[in-house]
Amino acid sequence: MADILRILFNSMQTGSTYALAALGIALIWKTSRTTNFAQGSIGTLNAYVAGILLVSWGWNIWLVAAASMVTAFFTGILIDAFIIRPAARVSPISKQIITLGLIMVIVGLIPLLFGVDPYRLPSFIPGASVTVAGAALRYNTVFVVTISLALMGGLFWFIQKTRWGLAIRVTAISESTSRLMGVPTKTVTMISWASAAMMGTLAALIVAPQASVNPNMLLDVQVSAFFAGVLGGFSTFFGPVVGSFIIAFSRNFTAFYISDIWGNVIVYSLILVFLYFKPYGLFGKKSEKKV
Amino acid sequence: MNRRPTAQAHGRTLLAAIRRRPLLQFALLAVALLVIAVLPHLGLMRFSTMSIYAYTAIYTVVALGMNILLGFSGLISLGTAGFIGAGALGMGVFLRMGLPFEAAAVVVLLISGSLGALIGLFSLKVESIYLAIATLFVGEILRQVYTSVPIFGGEFIRIGAVRLFGVFELNQIFQVERSILYAVIVGVLLLSMVLMHHLVRSRTGRALMAMSRSEHAAQAMGVSLLKYRLIAFVTATLYATAGGILYALYFQSAPTRAWTLNVSLLVIAMVVVGGFKSIVGTFLGAIIIYGLPNLLLKDLLGDISYVFSGALIILVILFYPRGFVYVGHDLRRIVSTLRTRARRAP
Repeated sequence: MADILRILFNSMQTGSTYALAALGIALIWKTSRTTNFAQGSIGTLNAYVAGILLVSWGWNIWLVAAASMVTAFFTGILIDAFIIRPAARVSPISKQIITLGLIMVIVGLIPLLFGVDPYRLPSFIPGASVTVAGAALRYNTVFVVTISLALMGGLFWFIQKTRWGLAIRVTAISESTSRLMGVPTKTVTMISWASAAMMGTLAALIVAPQASVNPNMLLDVQVSAFFAGVLGGFSTFFGPVVGSFIIAFSRNFTAFYISDIWGNVIVYSLILVFLYFKPYGLFGKKSEKKV
Repeated sequence: MNRRPTAQAHGRTLLAAIRRRPLLQFALLAVALLVIAVLPHLGLMRFSTMSIYAYTAIYTVVALGMNILLGFSGLISLGTAGFIGAGALGMGVFLRMGLPFEAAAVVVLLISGSLGALIGLFSLKVESIYLAIATLFVGEILRQVYTSVPIFGGEFIRIGAVRLFGVFELNQIFQVERSILYAVIVGVLLLSMVLMHHLVRSRTGRALMAMSRSEHAAQAMGVSLLKYRLIAFVTATLYATAGGILYALYFQSAPTRAWTLNVSLLVIAMVVVGGFKSIVGTFLGAIIIYGLPNLLLKDLLGDISYVFSGALIILVILFYPRGFVYVGHDLRRIVSTLRTRARRAP
């Protein structure tokens, strides 16, 4: 029982990092029709900003987190304005490769801007934990999961209930028709990139205390977020979130009871088989196609 | 007065002839690459530079397969790295088991070809981003297997000297033999270019292109989706695995941790940057994405070279969305407009 609970608590934390990244990827996929391979790199870049502020200026973790959110917002806007928007007429595959170019630029810039040494970031709430049925639950985990869920809940509310949310939803259905109807689609994609960058950065800040701030810190999160998106289905916004928690739990579960590596292989193969029978994920629907 | 224009005209017809004969282009490319095998022995080039060209040629073979998917069939695979790894590591395993080189190559190709066929079957059900990520699953599974299964060794598999056709024993350590290995790679590159040229000009190539434009229209015309999806994915994985085998042949050791998503993305970038549906363009893409950064930029720019090649990818895609191979086309147009203007001016 204690083991299961411990796995569950761990999975809640990793699951929320996956979910944050996956939601960003889904948002960009729906509004810009491109697979953002650079989601992890953008988060990492801003985690470095947090790291350098913490080390050189001595700000506390809350302040640097807020500051890195602000820089993430602007990173997203800059990327959209200077790279994604000019590529509007480029073929979908080429557009994906643009985000690969972005990874190379970011990964190349990091040592130039921040040096080669990895940074350490502390947890939001260090140390203390409470014991639930024999399993330790850290306050930091509770906080991290709560803030991620709150953020995602806020985003869902924004998308479902507000005018701008409606604009995002119609842009996702058809960009050109929305533009004809007077929806400011350029602003919509810009907001998507900015919020995706912020969610990626939050994921990076959650991951950082477990290892360190280094160029590859979000590699696993990035790939898992893709998998979560496919598992949940990209046609809804909550699908990728649910997929993230399922993947996090099943990976931790198999890692604990079977083995670290084979666990991953088993989970991935099972998802592939699942995908064969439900090609659009758990909550996905087949999109209508004109012949 | 009379001689220069005729010489010029002669040169122009020669260029036009080369442009019209793709096979001649491949042969010229191969000859140019073969010259590089000799240069280090004359002291005109470092041996490490020859290795970069060898790696570029290997990447070209892999990217040619990717071009069959991306350019001709409108499909995508993010698992290429896994199959290159399958080629390199599979050779390591089978050679250590004592199989002759050729037999090991056939076994490795068979194994990954059948994996490719499975992906082809899968692609009938799953589409667009879901298919792309499904292939990423395959790549990740392969990567996990390479890093953890003991038969693949720890950091890398050492292969050592390779015996070709049971007669020629070639060892990477000796400079002459390294040049011969390089020549073998260029030979395989030429072969795969010619094979691909004939494949895409055949009924199969036309069927693939019909499929990429509209699956439904292609089916209505009697193109079997199952058959051609299988052909596309199997060919692409075979090319990728062949690249891996060449890697094992030239470097004679195979790393286990190198086959990440980034390698697959680089291969896609080569096709996108070089030119969809263009065989020479694919080589150009490999040169731009892998060759140029390693040959020139690292020495010139040092640390910033990675940033530069990333920016290069973005810029080429923004300005040459169809691929860099069409830069010649554009240049000719500019030259001809300049010439007509010059003629009009006086």
